[in-house]
Amino acid sequence: MLQNSLRRPLLLAAGFGAVLSMTTALSGLARAAETAPVVNGVSQVHVTLVSDNGGACLVDFDQVKAGPITFTVTNQTATAITEVEIQSDNRILGEKENLAPGLPAVALTLTLGGGAYQIYCPGAGQELQPFTVTGKVAPAATGTTAQLLQDGTIGYAKYVAGVAASMVDAVKILKADIDAGDLAKARAEYPLARPFYERIESDVDSFVLPGFKATDNAGSLDYLIDMRASALDPKVGWHGFHAIERDLFQNNAITAETKAQAAELLTHVEMLAKITPTLTYKPEDLANGAADLLEEVQTTKVTGEEEDFSHIDLLDFAGNVEGAQQAFAFLEPGMMKIDPDLTARVQGEFAKVNAMLDTYRDKSQPGGYELYTAQVKAADAAKLSKAIQALQEPLSKIGEKVATAEK
Amino acid sequence: MAHKLTKPSSLSRRGMLFGATAGAVGVAAHAAALAGVPPQASAPGGDDVVDLTQTHPFYGDAQQAGISTEPQRHSMFMTFDLTTAKVGDLQVLLALWSSAIAQMMQGATIGQVEPKQPSAVGFDTGEALNLGPASLTVTIGLGPKVFSDIYGLSHQMPPLLRELKQLPSDQLDPALTGGDLSVQACADDPQVAYHAVRDLARIAKSTGSAQTRWTVMGFGRASAGRGQSTPRNLLGFKDGTRNLKEDAEFEQFVWVKDGPAWQRYGSYQVVRKIQMHIENWDTDRASDQNNVFGRHKVSGAPLTGTKEFDTPDFKKVDATGNPVILPTAHIALAAFENNKGIRILRRSYNYTDGLNQFGQLDAGLFFMSYQNDPAHFEMLQTKLGASDALNEYIAHIGSGIFFAPPAPKEGNYIAQEMFS
Repeated sequence: MLQNSLRRPLLLAAGFGAVLSMTTALSGLARAAETAPVVNGVSQVHVTLVSDNGGACLVDFDQVKAGPITFTVTNQTATAITEVEIQSDNRILGEKENLAPGLPAVALTLTLGGGAYQIYCPGAGQELQPFTVTGKVAPAATGTTAQLLQDGTIGYAKYVAGVAASMVDAVKILKADIDAGDLAKARAEYPLARPFYERIESDVDSFVLPGFKATDNAGSLDYLIDMRASALDPKVGWHGFHAIERDLFQNNAITAETKAQAAELLTHVEMLAKITPTLTYKPEDLANGAADLLEEVQTTKVTGEEEDFSHIDLLDFAGNVEGAQQAFAFLEPGMMKIDPDLTARVQGEFAKVNAMLDTYRDKSQPGGYELYTAQVKAADAAKLSKAIQALQEPLSKIGEKVATAEK
Repeated sequence: MAHKLTKPSSLSRRGMLFGATAGAVGVAAHAAALAGVPPQASAPGGDDVVDLTQTHPFYGDAQQAGISTEPQRHSMFMTFDLTTAKVGDLQVLLALWSSAIAQMMQGATIGQVEPKQPSAVGFDTGEALNLGPASLTVTIGLGPKVFSDIYGLSHQMPPLLRELKQLPSDQLDPALTGGDLSVQACADDPQVAYHAVRDLARIAKSTGSAQTRWTVMGFGRASAGRGQSTPRNLLGFKDGTRNLKEDAEFEQFVWVKDGPAWQRYGSYQVVRKIQMHIENWDTDRASDQNNVFGRHKVSGAPLTGTKEFDTPDFKKVDATGNPVILPTAHIALAAFENNKGIRILRRSYNYTDGLNQFGQLDAGLFFMSYQNDPAHFEMLQTKLGASDALNEYIAHIGSGIFFAPPAPKEGNYIAQEMFS
């Protein structure tokens, strides 16, 4: 599609002289007394990015009639500017990204009521260009995008609470196996109890037990539930899932200590399950949480550090990805209105990661995934990491979008 | 912001030392005289000036910057695998890369480092702030896969672009070989070069178009451009005494001059990661080292001459009738006189990857050549790989071939015309 549109005779092809005269003409057109022309009921505004003064954002009309408006953005020569946003008091109403000299013009249509607006060109010498929409004042902003995002946070809160409740159920079964001293059953149950925490970790990793300081690991629920051998605090000792993992998969023995650990773990996950239904989220919390879960994949799953004894890292990997994808999915309806291109790109990268994870599915394993052995790690760690990297970059842009969305 | 380190040629190291601390040097000189070995000056040549405020233009009417540009001190090279099947993604990537390179070569950021919006991530990673442009050039290369049917570009394939043949002594590691795009950043500050490649890699990922494949960070230029004195590789020998320097030589041997307009003043880029067996080399006797190269280590003179730029005499024999420069010497096999007049532009850098798994210095030469026909490199390396006395001390472990298209004109992006 892009290739075809490039065949159109762009002004650029005419050479530098033509670009200069175009620039001059555009500057001359920005006259406050004139209103942008209307074609088929849609006002037409052109935004042209040029390299003058280190980068300038030229708008041909600064008065527009209320109603649908198409902004056509062309980056002629401005290497410092790669995106343009239409804003109202710092709230993004619409935007175009990936603008660079040589690419064809892109268009964005918004329906705006009367009032003051800005065209924001980050990187331009003058980043904000005011423009006025004349005519009927828009009805009090119902903020459909904001409502969609708000609905998403409520849905996500329920998801987190549900995952925490399921974790309690799974840990109860694990504890029962351990109390019964059944090593084989406990080893099979451990992987089934693990993914829940990995799905919601970024939302629940900052709780401190009453009476403890934030710096004291003895009161950190995350430490007590999920600490790995690589980051132990000798003063506090080892607790939680991975202490149990060591007993089941390395020591191959259930001791009184294992049973005490299982009882303590159940207490702590029950605490989390009580807290999670009370939590509320802002849209950007979902985006940042998703990004944090992908960081977890890179630092502890790709490295094989998370499940040093059971080697079920790929199961945890899938848990982190599922949690991130759920958070993103609850933002999707709102994000489709803000930036459908970016939304589609993130969807596409999630699909690639999941397709890759599917290749590791193994029904013969209790967790459903191949074990992440030293051989698998040596052969595939880079491939796994690169797939997550490709998801991290576009996903990292969502926090800003939803935080600044139209209210 | 910028620092200017000028080392005037009139100030030799010895002269400087005498001026500064005559007493101490007096002792050193005395000791050296007693040992019968003159202390060897290591003064940089008069050309060896680092001015971190210097810039090169990205846009132009002919070749990309970073090929005939006098080599800067440091380099960062990376290749990328394309991860998209959409030609539009490739266009966006090349356009965003072009914009970013134009910014960085002027010493500017590519976007906000610390966005005001607290939920926003920085566009530019920031580590090159206040370091100056440092003569940065970033040169883009297109690998064979770019010209596949996937992107509808097979009809635009530069006629001589193809995978390199398997060459004698190749010990290529697949993890250090190939790639669909290459990025070579060169600058007089290593952090400026590193920043450029890092931020281009981020753009590649954020557009969903490409992922990193392999990389080499180079320090210390190991080739000279016009007006520069010949630097040394990690074997301690001058490298590139007979490198191409004159415009006429570039016209004859480097630039592609025919084919569609978008290919003219492009060039074929060949890269080789060449590991050196440093410990073995360091314990090789001086006379053997000289025989391996066919030159004297310090002066760079051919064994048949006395000065660096003396023309080697490959026919000269010693009193016993043996050739003074052995037929297996590096320069004998590489010399244009012995290769039908063929010459290539070398633009190499020294590299180190620390210590290897055997506790040996892991270092070598990141070799890069530009030529208007990759067969020229193959011809030379076929001979060198088969017979070079140096092969005992080196191994070619990485490889890549790319077409470096000409520079875009302002308002365009690199290789834009190949999409029309």
